[in-house]
Amino acid sequence: MKKSLAFISLLIFFVGMEFAAFSQQQRFPKPEFESGYAQPVTSMPVPRDGMFALLDVLVLIAVLSLITWFILKKRSRTGVVAVSIFSILYFGFFREGCVCSVGSVQNVVLALFNPGYHIPLSALAFFVIPLAYTLFFGRTFCAGVCPLGAVQDVFLMRPVTLKKWLQKALGLIPFIYLGLSVLYAATATDFIICRYDPFVGIFRFNATFFMFAIGAAFLLISIFIARPYCRFFCPYGVLLNLVSRVSKNHLTITPSNCIQCKLCENSCPLDAINKPVVVKQMEDKRSATRRFILLSLIIPALMIVGGWTGANFHENLAKVNSKVRLADEMLHFDSKTMKESLEIEGFRTSGKPVEQLYLEAAEIVKQFYYGGWILGAFIGLVIGLALSGLSRYQYREDYSPDKGACVSCARCLKYCPVEK
Amino acid sequence: MKNKLILWLLVVLLLVVVAIMAKDLFVSQNKPQENVYEYDLKELRKVDSSKISHKEVKQIKIQANELHGIAVDGKDQIYVTTDENILVLDSDGKQINSLKMKGNARCLTVAENGNILVGLGNRVDIRKPDGSFRNSFIVAGEKAFITSIAIDGDNVYVADAGQKIVHHYNIEGEKINEIGGKNPEAGIKGFVIPSPYFDLLMGRQGELWVVNPGRHAFEAYNSSGVQISSWERTSMSLDGFSGCCNPSNAAMLSDGSFVTAEKGLERVKIHLPSGDFKSVVAAPELFEIGTVGIDLAVDSKDRILVLDPVQKMIRIFEAK
Repeated sequence: MKKSLAFISLLIFFVGMEFAAFSQQQRFPKPEFESGYAQPVTSMPVPRDGMFALLDVLVLIAVLSLITWFILKKRSRTGVVAVSIFSILYFGFFREGCVCSVGSVQNVVLALFNPGYHIPLSALAFFVIPLAYTLFFGRTFCAGVCPLGAVQDVFLMRPVTLKKWLQKALGLIPFIYLGLSVLYAATATDFIICRYDPFVGIFRFNATFFMFAIGAAFLLISIFIARPYCRFFCPYGVLLNLVSRVSKNHLTITPSNCIQCKLCENSCPLDAINKPVVVKQMEDKRSATRRFILLSLIIPALMIVGGWTGANFHENLAKVNSKVRLADEMLHFDSKTMKESLEIEGFRTSGKPVEQLYLEAAEIVKQFYYGGWILGAFIGLVIGLALSGLSRYQYREDYSPDKGACVSCARCLKYCPVEK
Repeated sequence: MKNKLILWLLVVLLLVVVAIMAKDLFVSQNKPQENVYEYDLKELRKVDSSKISHKEVKQIKIQANELHGIAVDGKDQIYVTTDENILVLDSDGKQINSLKMKGNARCLTVAENGNILVGLGNRVDIRKPDGSFRNSFIVAGEKAFITSIAIDGDNVYVADAGQKIVHHYNIEGEKINEIGGKNPEAGIKGFVIPSPYFDLLMGRQGELWVVNPGRHAFEAYNSSGVQISSWERTSMSLDGFSGCCNPSNAAMLSDGSFVTAEKGLERVKIHLPSGDFKSVVAAPELFEIGTVGIDLAVDSKDRILVLDPVQKMIRIFEAK
């Protein structure tokens, strides 16, 4: 494990050095408006120059390595809490929640679909590094490096367990959120993960009432339901969940052999401990074949229905795009009875022909038509796989963490009486 | 049990958060293209209670098919014209007399000497105080339609909504003058009367005040027909008049303030002699929507008598 940890750290460091100069070319002068329009001050943290961006990446690597060491080697919940507090202070309040791995999904997607967009090095690093660590060590990033997860974890006081079916149902939300985030990032419409980041306004002390209310609601829920944003919203968590399932050195509850004392059984607030399953009689071949055929039919059918539904809603989806919304406003605008909105006024003063706007909007709507198909099919696939997962039988002898759902918070470790 | 309740409340809260975020994303928050010229009277019907200066103290129900006009004499007797007759009531609403009329009495006024002047289409009938017939005269012109009469001594002023003019007669029906005709050289714009509501009244100094409803104005004339004063207030809110033609009717308080009745936004207000809004007598909520032809009279105690032709009653308002 030591070797792989060192290898990943070095690899990321050198790749980061190579991209440092490249990331300097992102800036361009602000446009000057002939109409006298004064650009409002955007509520964003001051961009970091190359060295500081690199510092953020180095801090990320260092903190990830440290927490991984605490979890896997020291098996210390105290260490996890300490790192969590550091992350809240550094990535949360000091760095004002930006750059963040959760939102970096959108930068990556935008870069993939828009050749004109150059992804900042730090955004790319924040996307890749936690995934790489997760691939080897499980979701140690979620444990206490992500400030969004850490702040919820700090609030968890009286954990209550949700019913499995409810967890499954709510667990579909992050997939839908991920699908929408990808769709809107790919079409250069909006970064909705950042727009609805519930804690960034709190970190920056400038939340609107709407965002503060959402953040406060999540923190309130966090007191009883562990990490509601991580489990039922976080799109990046979806990726980490999938990658973590194949992680090589994931946290184990017991450092040695499980003695099945059941002490850890209810220790996980995320309900991410798989209990031992008694040996079941082997399913007969005929029944297994029938189940396989049924699932083979249901999943594509769900994908087609989902895709068709998504495509039918493509115009609604497209209306989030400012250009499409403007074109729609222009189309329905009647100067005799309606007041000109700021957007329309701005467009008129730009001197751009309205026909061009319509053409561009039509092209975006077309993209949303295909995007709607893909998004719907993706949601159908997720639902289908969730259904098939319910009928899948897994044999387990010991208490073990659910590699996908476990965020390696290390709460369960102290319940295990087995010593190394 | 307690935990279960908390859990479900939190799950509901979580779903509410999802719903709020989805609404914010997909439903446009601002309504930039709302119809700014939308004619929505709902908000304008609401009146701040602090602006209401009078309270309704009495309602006198009138048995009639139609109610048209109201007037009060020097003894505070109330006169009401219906489609068939003129009812004379004492100040408590008890019927004293009923005068049969030949025709639809649209308006009336009572002279200081007790003579009753009634406008019926294009005819003015003058009755003695006991109700007996005195004399009658016709307003010339095919379109003549009398909507209001005022009397000052021997001078009778007749508002003719059909011909958009005020006729000046003597009590015998001899025409003396025409008042308010369009005269750009004299700066008189003329009366704008899109609907048959054209009122006039005598001021405290013997001046004739004529409502110019299309201009949302009051114009004062002397007995020679020269305009001596005017004010206008066009506003959708309380401080003025709105619509095609308002106020529809008017009366005057002892301090020279104007009591006005409007249609569209059914309300009765008081404007100061300068024209500035003073207070509300009766808010729109007191009337049925669509009520037109609310006539007004003021008695010697400055009580305001409001003729409600839809609810068929006289409503008496006193200052709070």
